[in-house]
Amino acid sequence: MAQSFRIADLTGIQVRPARLWTHSLSWILFVAGIALYAHFSIVRHRENPEDRVIPSATQLVQGMKASVLEPAEEDDPLDPGASLVQQVRHSMIWKDTVSSARRFLIALLLLVPAMLIGLHMAVFPYAGAFFLRFVLFFDKIVALSLLPILFIVFGIDEWSKIMLMVIGVAPTLMLDAYNISGGVPREQIVKAFTLKSTNLDVAYRVVLKQVLPQLINSVRLNLKPLALFLFAGEMIASTDGLAYRIAIMRRHMGMDIIIPYLLWVALLLFMLDALLRFTNRRLHPWYQPL
Amino acid sequence: MVSAALRLIEDIAPNSAPRRTEIELRDVSVSYRAGKEGQKTVLSKLNLKVAAGEFVVILGETGCGKSTLLRLILGQEFPTAGAIEVDGKPVTAIDARCGYVPQKYSLFPDRTVLGNVMYGPENAKSRFLARLRPSFFAYRRKLRAEAQAYLVRMGLRPQDMDKYPHQLSGGMQQRVAIAQALLMHPPVLLLDEAFSALDPSTRASLQEQLRDVWLELKPTVVFVTHNTSEALLLGTRLILLGRHREDRAGETNLVLDMQIPPSKLPLSMQMQTREFQDLLEHVKQLAYKSSSMNTEDAIADRIVEEGNLA
Repeated sequence: MAQSFRIADLTGIQVRPARLWTHSLSWILFVAGIALYAHFSIVRHRENPEDRVIPSATQLVQGMKASVLEPAEEDDPLDPGASLVQQVRHSMIWKDTVSSARRFLIALLLLVPAMLIGLHMAVFPYAGAFFLRFVLFFDKIVALSLLPILFIVFGIDEWSKIMLMVIGVAPTLMLDAYNISGGVPREQIVKAFTLKSTNLDVAYRVVLKQVLPQLINSVRLNLKPLALFLFAGEMIASTDGLAYRIAIMRRHMGMDIIIPYLLWVALLLFMLDALLRFTNRRLHPWYQPL
Repeated sequence: MVSAALRLIEDIAPNSAPRRTEIELRDVSVSYRAGKEGQKTVLSKLNLKVAAGEFVVILGETGCGKSTLLRLILGQEFPTAGAIEVDGKPVTAIDARCGYVPQKYSLFPDRTVLGNVMYGPENAKSRFLARLRPSFFAYRRKLRAEAQAYLVRMGLRPQDMDKYPHQLSGGMQQRVAIAQALLMHPPVLLLDEAFSALDPSTRASLQEQLRDVWLELKPTVVFVTHNTSEALLLGTRLILLGRHREDRAGETNLVLDMQIPPSKLPLSMQMQTREFQDLLEHVKQLAYKSSSMNTEDAIADRIVEEGNLA
């Protein structure tokens, strides 16, 4: 039988909060954040009705509307009779999202071989001996410090930004894949060989299949560093993209655009993370996370 | 009293014809560097011939090299000196000549019970694109039926076949692991403390099952355990290893090599018999002594035992 709530339970370890409590508690910080924002916005707008540092709800709605329905300043204006779908497809946020998403997804695809190298490092001793020391060293290089070199090698087009993301995250993913793959019990590998597995069978049908859910989790944990490198590249040298727009808006103190953009980026990353988590659960029903 | 028990057991032993040697170890020693302590010897001058169809149980205290011996036969480790042959060929790597059932992590967690059991034969049949041929699907159907039969033989129910290993108890997992190894029809089956982590009733039931399977299929079994009753219940031959002492370098650490013909009684009844209890007591005493006595005494005891059996 569920016990009634007592104040002392808040600091208890052996308590089991009711579902209603857990749901309510999880929203408190969101509500508090919005309330604080609203409070400071009201205070600043009382002093200066045109304040742009903490935009009011009306300003934010207008900013969102402009982002979602109007083209960017540098683009041609749309016909006044354009449909809603056309408006959205030519809008500032759509254009920026497509540009950033393309770079992000290409980088994500290029990280797959990095994870496979990590797996090979763990499974094949010679591959481990060849790569490990170099990857450990390369991991310590601050990726942003390579940006000037990347600009010289790849130019200031797409590839320098994509390579910045790949170089920034690949060593971490390689080492993560190496550690995860190395954690597969030796007994399983021995057993696989007694069951007529070849080396490739062991690498791909035994080890990779077992560690795939953990590798997907590793990618999930690296989504934010990946976005960070994307933003760094776009803010320094780009003509479109979500971070480019935020950098432009900063010059104009356009907080009514910056805040919706920030929330949109967070939402996109949150949805991608949720999609990977869902995929992981569906593809690997046997996986028992610790 | 012990020698009487041994003679009694010898009397009921079948007079079998000489059988082919399945595993042979010649002067096998294993040492490794142990930091500041220098060289540490785990196995020393071990000579052993295991005939086809024998059920050899390796018993001994912790650190005496039981599991090392198993890994040598398996090909997971190599001796510092000496030679090992399985099925008439030198052991150079882990391969399908030996089926293997470890204490834990014996199943692939990403495969169902049937998937685990069918993994080996599927590998043996064909590889990669060859698995798309219609003949492979027909083979798979046949294999599925055979795998199910093995699993039922090991005490699994039809509804367990599509479960993942984490949905099974420890005992069930070990049953599947044994079926997985047996379906490959290996000449040698190696079990490394395979029942150690199980509760007594599950352990007893698995012992019965393993003995029945062995009586029916007669694979050569090498079973490592630290449980003396289990060793005497299951084995047809007992190998007792003692811990090697550095001050007795060059001497074998094999303390006892004894034949135990299998009883026709069920294991639980066999355990109640006077002969079994006497033998158990004797081996326990010997195992206890081997943990403290020097190798010379151990060899002397072994000679006495062999004299009793002869």
